[in-house]
Parts: sequence; C-alpha cells; structure tokens
Amino acid sequence: MPQTPRAPHAYQSGTLARIVDGLRYGGGIGQWSWLAHRLSGLGILFFLIVHITDTFFVVFAPDWYDHTVAIYGGVWFDGHYYWPLRWAFRVAELGLIASVVFHAINGVGVILYDLWPKGSLYRKPILWTVQVAFWGIMLVTTPIVLYPLRKAPDQPAASRPAPPPAGVASVVPGR
Amino acid sequence: MTARSTGRRIRPSGGYELFMWYFMRLSGLALVFLAVGHLFIMHILNNVETINYAFVASRWTAPRTGWIWRLWDASLISLAVIHGFNGLRQVLYEYLSAGGRIVAGTVTWALTAVFIGAGGYSILMFQPDEGFIKEHPLKIERTTEISSASAPPASQPISVAR
Repeated sequence: MPQTPRAPHAYQSGTLARIVDGLRYGGGIGQWSWLAHRLSGLGILFFLIVHITDTFFVVFAPDWYDHTVAIYGGVWFDGHYYWPLRWAFRVAELGLIASVVFHAINGVGVILYDLWPKGSLYRKPILWTVQVAFWGIMLVTTPIVLYPLRKAPDQPAASRPAPPPAGVASVVPGR
Repeated sequence: MTARSTGRRIRPSGGYELFMWYFMRLSGLALVFLAVGHLFIMHILNNVETINYAFVASRWTAPRTGWIWRLWDASLISLAVIHGFNGLRQVLYEYLSAGGRIVAGTVTWALTAVFIGAGGYSILMFQPDEGFIKEHPLKIERTTEISSASAPPASQPISVAR
C-alpha cells in the first residue's frame, strides 16, 4: 500500500545506496508515476535533440537526410539491409511512442492535480485513470507499430536497388 | 481534511520559477495536441520507413496546406525544446548547489536557443531540391498493408509546388 511506513534507517553515502534508498521509498503509484514521468521526459528530450539534428539535414544535404532516415528501415550507410537494425529501431519507436503517450497523459493528470481545486483529493483516482488510459492506448498502438515487422520490406528503403525477398512480387509502380 | 490528505505540490512562490511552472503546464497542454498529433500522423497514419526527403518536401511545400504543417512543426519544436530543456534544468537543479545551478541554467538555456534556431531554420528556410526529388521520389505507395487495406494513404499533393 502506498502509505506503508518503513522503518527509518541510517543514511548511507554513495550514489548507488541513495538510488536503492530512493527505490525503496514506498511512495506507491505516485512514486512510480513521478519516476516514469521524469525518465520519459528525459528520454523524449534526448530523441528531440537527435530528431532536430537529423531534420536539419533537409536544408543543406538531402542525401544525408535520406541516408539517415533509411536507418529506421534497417538500411545502414553501406546500403545493405540489416533486419536487426530495423527491429531495434521499431522497438525504440514503440518506446518513444509509449514515452510520449505516458508523459502526455500523466502530464494532464499533474495539471489536474495542481490547478483543479479538488485535484489533491482525487490524486489516486487520477493516477489509476492515467494507467488505464495509457495501457489502453498502447494495447491498440503496439500491434499497429510492430505489424510491418512480420516480413522484410518490399524494397529496402533509401531507393537502392536490392534483390526483392522471395515470394514478394515487386509491384511498386513507377520505380 | 484528515491526515490522508496528501497536500499540494510545491509551487514556486513567484518570479521566474513561478512563470516557468505555469509555462510547463500550459505548453504541456498544447504539446499533448501537437506532439501526440505529430506522432499519430508520422507513425500510425504513415509508416516511418516511407519517410524521406521527398515526403518532407511534399508536406512543407504542399500548395494549400504547407504553411499549416510548417506552423505546426515550428510551434511543436519551439514549445517542446523549451519544455524539455526546462524540465532538464529543473531535474539538474535538484542535484546541484548554487554554483552548479548557474552553470546548468546557462547551458540549458543556451541549448534551448541553439535547437530552436536549428529547428526553426530547417522548417522556415526549407527550399525543395527538385532534382533530388525526381531521383528519389516519394515512397508512400508501398506503405504497409494496413493502410492499403483501407483507402490508399491520402498522400499530400505529389506535385510539389512552391
């Protein structure tokens, strides 16, 4: 239970001990939501920096841009397709989506808590509603994001010629 | 209210920190729409594997709707960068002493300016490279079966006009 009292124990020096202490804090769902909000926010900021940098290529180096975003499809700079690369980026994409969705929903919960006069009375219901909404959205989103992984791309991205996978007719018009 | 009451969050009492406290909440509400909408368009309606230079060009230079996407992306970048780096600053402040906070505040605000500048420059100064687009056209036709099962993805007008 969230209000579980823990016997106070002696302060231990050292970063690791403090992290372990923090995780044993016993703040319940509020503590974990706070941690998830903070970590997802920092993760999104990291992605945002990468994303602004890669998009900056569009103004002066279109080929750099295409080669960079082709990595999402599993095509490395050498022009070859590597399926683990594509899978890794898909899973990371799912992580990004989950981070943004959680940060958004939980952020609305934080706003309710802070700015709605009765918010502090409904802290726990708000947090559980955030959980239900988050997992509901991810339940629908996850299959959609992972669906393309069931087979290799028709043509590896970056408009480089490559042998099409067996059994997949190349029906792309205009290529 | 009894002992069960958990009390309010700690809100800054005034000045710069209170302003940023309100900014985080207001920009957060805007970003729910801007960022989640952006993700929905790019990752659900489209397949990220089909995004390339021609896709970006067709979006930003579409005859009637291009300015909407540029406005959307510029707003998204500005608010998200300030929101993100201010969040980082707040996290860092919790771990730093007065001297370190000055450094952290300066660095995060400088990076905020750099990334809004870079992002804003990309979005507002973009001029399509027609020759490159001809050689590397849109890949939208071969998106996933999910979208081809329904109506073909309503690609932005493919004729890229300035």
